[in-house]
Amino acid sequence: MKNNYTPVYGTGLIMLLLYLCSGQAFAQDTYTLTGTVTDTTGLAIPGVHVQRIGSLTGTTTNFEGNYRIEVQPNDSLSYTYMGFATQIVAVNHQKSIHIQLYPSAQALDEVVINAGYYTTTERERTGSIERVTAQEIERQPIANPLQALQGRMAGVEVVQRSGVTGLAANIQIRGQNSLRNSPNNNGNLPLYIIDGVPINSSPVRSSGLQTNNPGLDPLNALNLANIESIEVLKDADATAIYGSRGANGVILITTKQAKDQSGKLKVNARLYTGAAEVSHKMELLNTRQYIAMREQALANDGVEANEYNAPDLFWDTTRYTDWQEVLFGGTATITNANIALSSGNETTSFLLGGGYHKEGTVYPGDFGYEKATANLNINHHSKDQRLQLNFSSNYGIDQNQLFNNTLVGLATSLPPNAPELYTDTGDLNWENWAWEGNPLAQLEKRQSLNSHNLFSNLSFSYELFKNFRFKANMGYSHLNNEEVLENPKSAYNPDNWNNIYSSSTHTHIKRKSWIIEPQLVYDHHWKKLELNTLAGLTFQKSQDDLLVLMGNNYANENSIGNLTAAEEVRVETDQAIDYRYQAIFGRIGLNWDKKYYLNLTGRRDGSSRFGSENRFANFGAIGAAWIFTEEAFIKNNLSWLSFGKLRGSYGTTGSDQIPDYGYMDTFEPTPGPGGLYPVQLTNPNYSWEVNKKLEAALELGLIDNRINLEINWYRNRSSNQLVGYPLPSTTGFTTVQANFPATVQNTGWELGLTTRNIDRENFSWTTHLNFTLPKNKLIAFRDIENSPYQNVYRVGQPLNIALRYRYLGIDPETGLYQVEDVNNDGSYDFDDRVVVEHLGREYYGGIQNGIRWKNIHLDFLFQYVKQQNYSYLTDYTAPGNYGNKPIEVLQAWEQPGDDTHIQQFSQSSAANSAYANAMRSDLAITDASFLRLKTATLSYRLPIQTKGIETVRIYMHGQNLLTLTDFRGLDPEGGQSLPPMRTLTMGVEFNF
Amino acid sequence: MKNLKYYISFMLLLGSFTSCEDFVDVEVPAHKTVSATVFSNDQSAQSAMQGIYNELSRADFSGRMASAVTVLAGLSADNLKTTTSSHPELKEFYENLILPSNTNNFNLWSSIYNIIYMCNAVVEGVENSDGLSPEVSDRLIGQAKCIRAFGYFYLTNLYGDVPLITSTDYRTNAVAPQQAPQEIYVQMVKDLEDALELLPLEYPNAERTAVNQGTAMALLARVYLYLQDWTQAELLSNEVINNPNYTLLDSLDEVFLANSQEAIWQISPIGAGNSLTNTPEGSFFILNSPPGYSKPVALTESLIDTFKPHDNRRVDWIGTYQDETTTFYYPYKYKIPYATGADYTEYSMVLRLAEQYLIKSEALARKGDLNNAVIALDKIRMRAGLDPLSSIAPNIQQEALLDSIQLEKRREFFTEWGHRWLDLKHTGKIDEVLQDEKPYWQGAYQYYPIPEEDLQNNPYLTQNPGY
Repeated sequence: MKNNYTPVYGTGLIMLLLYLCSGQAFAQDTYTLTGTVTDTTGLAIPGVHVQRIGSLTGTTTNFEGNYRIEVQPNDSLSYTYMGFATQIVAVNHQKSIHIQLYPSAQALDEVVINAGYYTTTERERTGSIERVTAQEIERQPIANPLQALQGRMAGVEVVQRSGVTGLAANIQIRGQNSLRNSPNNNGNLPLYIIDGVPINSSPVRSSGLQTNNPGLDPLNALNLANIESIEVLKDADATAIYGSRGANGVILITTKQAKDQSGKLKVNARLYTGAAEVSHKMELLNTRQYIAMREQALANDGVEANEYNAPDLFWDTTRYTDWQEVLFGGTATITNANIALSSGNETTSFLLGGGYHKEGTVYPGDFGYEKATANLNINHHSKDQRLQLNFSSNYGIDQNQLFNNTLVGLATSLPPNAPELYTDTGDLNWENWAWEGNPLAQLEKRQSLNSHNLFSNLSFSYELFKNFRFKANMGYSHLNNEEVLENPKSAYNPDNWNNIYSSSTHTHIKRKSWIIEPQLVYDHHWKKLELNTLAGLTFQKSQDDLLVLMGNNYANENSIGNLTAAEEVRVETDQAIDYRYQAIFGRIGLNWDKKYYLNLTGRRDGSSRFGSENRFANFGAIGAAWIFTEEAFIKNNLSWLSFGKLRGSYGTTGSDQIPDYGYMDTFEPTPGPGGLYPVQLTNPNYSWEVNKKLEAALELGLIDNRINLEINWYRNRSSNQLVGYPLPSTTGFTTVQANFPATVQNTGWELGLTTRNIDRENFSWTTHLNFTLPKNKLIAFRDIENSPYQNVYRVGQPLNIALRYRYLGIDPETGLYQVEDVNNDGSYDFDDRVVVEHLGREYYGGIQNGIRWKNIHLDFLFQYVKQQNYSYLTDYTAPGNYGNKPIEVLQAWEQPGDDTHIQQFSQSSAANSAYANAMRSDLAITDASFLRLKTATLSYRLPIQTKGIETVRIYMHGQNLLTLTDFRGLDPEGGQSLPPMRTLTMGVEFNF
Repeated sequence: MKNLKYYISFMLLLGSFTSCEDFVDVEVPAHKTVSATVFSNDQSAQSAMQGIYNELSRADFSGRMASAVTVLAGLSADNLKTTTSSHPELKEFYENLILPSNTNNFNLWSSIYNIIYMCNAVVEGVENSDGLSPEVSDRLIGQAKCIRAFGYFYLTNLYGDVPLITSTDYRTNAVAPQQAPQEIYVQMVKDLEDALELLPLEYPNAERTAVNQGTAMALLARVYLYLQDWTQAELLSNEVINNPNYTLLDSLDEVFLANSQEAIWQISPIGAGNSLTNTPEGSFFILNSPPGYSKPVALTESLIDTFKPHDNRRVDWIGTYQDETTTFYYPYKYKIPYATGADYTEYSMVLRLAEQYLIKSEALARKGDLNNAVIALDKIRMRAGLDPLSSIAPNIQQEALLDSIQLEKRREFFTEWGHRWLDLKHTGKIDEVLQDEKPYWQGAYQYYPIPEEDLQNNPYLTQNPGY
């Protein structure tokens, strides 16, 4: 037989089936053992996993805590349940075994961690994996799940760019690896995986001015309340199995799984409601101060006011409007309701849920966000556990009503005496407005976003032979997003209506993707040696469609958006992008005596984003861990040290996050009829970016694991940088895709500390602290002086720098800003930009406290970030110009000897030019560090003993309640965009 | 035996990987065409040329007024002024205090190079293709070279020393140093001579939107004038004047209509791919509402003062807009300010016959043939309803005649492709004239600054003096 097989699928499958049918005969003296599992108070524990050690046979306890299992007299059984210490009991011919489980002091070690293709435990993992669970995120009143991670994980930077709902957050895991960091070509996005299905993590394109940078979050339609856990994989050991897509880390989202086996229907219902407003407003000039500034500027310039140089001085100079209050000072209400039903028996369980979320905006007018979700999970296994099936599906629809302008810029710069918004008759007032027009007219430019999103996954697993399983994951995801931007005449001054057309822009985006991953899993024990192996394939096909239509010249304003009513419909863009991805991957995990661990992972990847010469590449990693507290000499001598592990890993990952078809030299149709034109420069020979990751870590548990400490050191080096290499426009374009002889290094220290400060029956207090000290550096860049990057990067410096003029203070003669002309050539250019300012985070962290007193639970998280950013002054014109200014300008220079950092009021060309130069100097970089009370929850469990109701909990939750910062713009993270919301909600949860 | 089953399973897995390696092959998507395919047949190769004409109506320097030669050079000279403070970057051009970071300046510069890239791509694509008929192949190379020369004419006249790019190879182009104007002119003459040889006399269709031999000749006449080769300038302009395709129209209202008999080359607004405007000039200049963000410029009083009241151009080509306090004058060569659906009656004029008369006149005057120079000049004066110079100043001297020609050029070609700005420079009068008009004027400002972005991305570029 040995020589008869042929590698033809049919034959092979038949042979496999033959083996399936042959089965494994049980020894003759097998018998049925029964028992009950209870906790120390005698209450039954349902769902305890009971397993014959050394085999895959096992069962779980039912709702009464009872179990029944086939055993042989010399077997040992293990009893596992999360939060309790695992017990191992020898069967020893007993017919029934009743077990009491004790709450585990080592519960943390036993937490099961999802590592993607396999699971591990907190105790045994060899890689760097962070985890947050439902309890930490589910009460946050936000639409986008990943925003909930802010401040909670070491090494994970989540930056919220604005308070606009639905906008993608900026996520970086262990720093910037790629030089490509623009919103539509970002090489630094992590890989998102929901229940095993990879999701395109690039933001969904939007044309609206509030949402176009960077776009919408592709995970918006996911229900926060249906997330069981989010794991973030960081080092080579954890990410190399994702090969070319693991360079920037992996975010694994696991939705809630059906676990119930009680046979009874369980209901979990939640409801919260609350209100939000912007967390910060700026202090601007009032009318008296503003008019004084303007008059002084004209006086300083020696110019008479006229309607062209000072239209604002011809308005009522006593009127005052707080434009921030009018334009984004509203209160948004939030409502959220969720229900989840679950039930099941010994072999099959289901979980069915639905959610609804609605929030308003802080803008005037009728805008807001709504989302409805449904989810289903079905879990089945055969009685002997050989067959396992799991199906999960998450469907969400959301609708975002906005308008196509930000208003924030206007709100912080309109003159405080700008004209009335309404006429006496209640219509929009257009009289006397300068070029910006009545700001409320912007609300007429409605933007509506509708999306449907489906994530669906089926996983199948069958034990072919003893310890040998065939598994298959099949996933499908579909995102459909439709955006309509209305541009009606009514948004413009009626004086101009005869040359303005009502128009609309329609964007349709479809992202479809399927994936199939067949795998083989083999586990084996030889006395003290344990082996876990895995081999698998990936086939993935994704299609991204984009269709942009314009409807022009609507006769009737009411029908804007209905293309049939447009006189002309034009197709702006029509493209379908096909992406294919294929891989073979594997893992070998070894451990000796639960003491020494070795983990080898590897992947060979092919991606359609590269030319045929460079399509495939190999990636791999090695990870090792040593639990030294298992060594007798430590166990016996250091009793206070309850757990100690040293681990490390090294390996390579890659990145294929580049635009599709870039290697093809192509022409596209011109917008005008009958033409073709080149739209990019082409380089057919680029290949993968390679990211080499090195990590070392120490994990300690002290005093019965009441103090848990983890310290990581990492060093990631990304080379062969694949960039849209900036070119002088004389080449015809401004970039070309190419590999660059540059190496970016991210090193850092990460610290996680969890302490159970007080642990009594009625009073407990735990603290979790995370801290990250990242260091980003461009360590090599061959010939940078002759490259387009000579004025962007500096070898030896971080990527995120600003090259600036040196600010010299205010010229005592002119009262204007001065910057240094370093080479004295009479002009200011990059040779004079000698000051290197570091932007971005210097270090950051979070501290979370959970305090419980009887039924009252208080939980709060502070986030701290130390960083520099551009000053808000860069968003303003020189002091003295038209437009309101921050209160700080009142310190403007008046006469020689004045010690100030604000130049003289003036709107002359000289003043504007001096101001522009100063905004390119180190003056315009300021400290933007902040300490923020990110979340706080106070909850109370009602002491209800009613039959049928398990628990009732009421709570209050606050988001962004307090921010301490020296940054004087709107927000230290978002700069001059809509600040994040300060939200207060009240909620109630039932379990019955 | 026991190992075999594992072995088979893993082999199956491996086998299905290697047998499907072409799974990751993707087709060229429907919205793209591979370059080699574009130049594989006459029809699609002509589409690539049509692409250039279409893009000229969208390119900043030619089709987007706020960064177009017409507006920026008009502001830098003494024909246009800004009327609002909401366009500080346009004001920089008006005050001749342009920052190297000025985005309008970058758009102007980079859009010319983008069109030059397309021309280079057509020249290379056609030269490397063996699937094209000789007629099409000649015509495409001739057209592409003519437009390339047109691009370089504006680059070198606006910026002085500029990189000379004649291929699509970005590796060498990214580090190309600047060449002196003389070098650029050598290339322009070469390209235009080639175009003269390759292009047919007639337009390819009823439209005057594609370039032909007449276009190349008209442009070459101007190039020789700037090179001070008076003989060639006179010869070529004269040949264009005698070309039966072109006639000086009596009615000034008809000059800028689509395919007018005076047009040598026009850009059709249809190329922009939308019907939001007719010509960009019409929508940008015509003041049918107060000056403001979308209508930021008007004609200067100094230009208005040069017209006699009965000059037909003052009457037909200049409009006025009055608000409570001020009268604004605007260019009214194009009459349609906004969209009229897909019906385009006006095209943007690039080259027209009137210029050839003035080139001829100047060349003759420079050579000392004052009589014939006056005859050519009077053609233009008389069309405008002015008395012929031959009758009012029969004994005019060379210097005065040259001044009259420039004055006529200013009145004839205001807000058309920066004639005034370039003429002030090629006649060497720029300092003399602008010193009185512009408070911040310095001689070095006759060249715009090289944009900051490109200085940053090409280390071999040097900034022009004065910036």
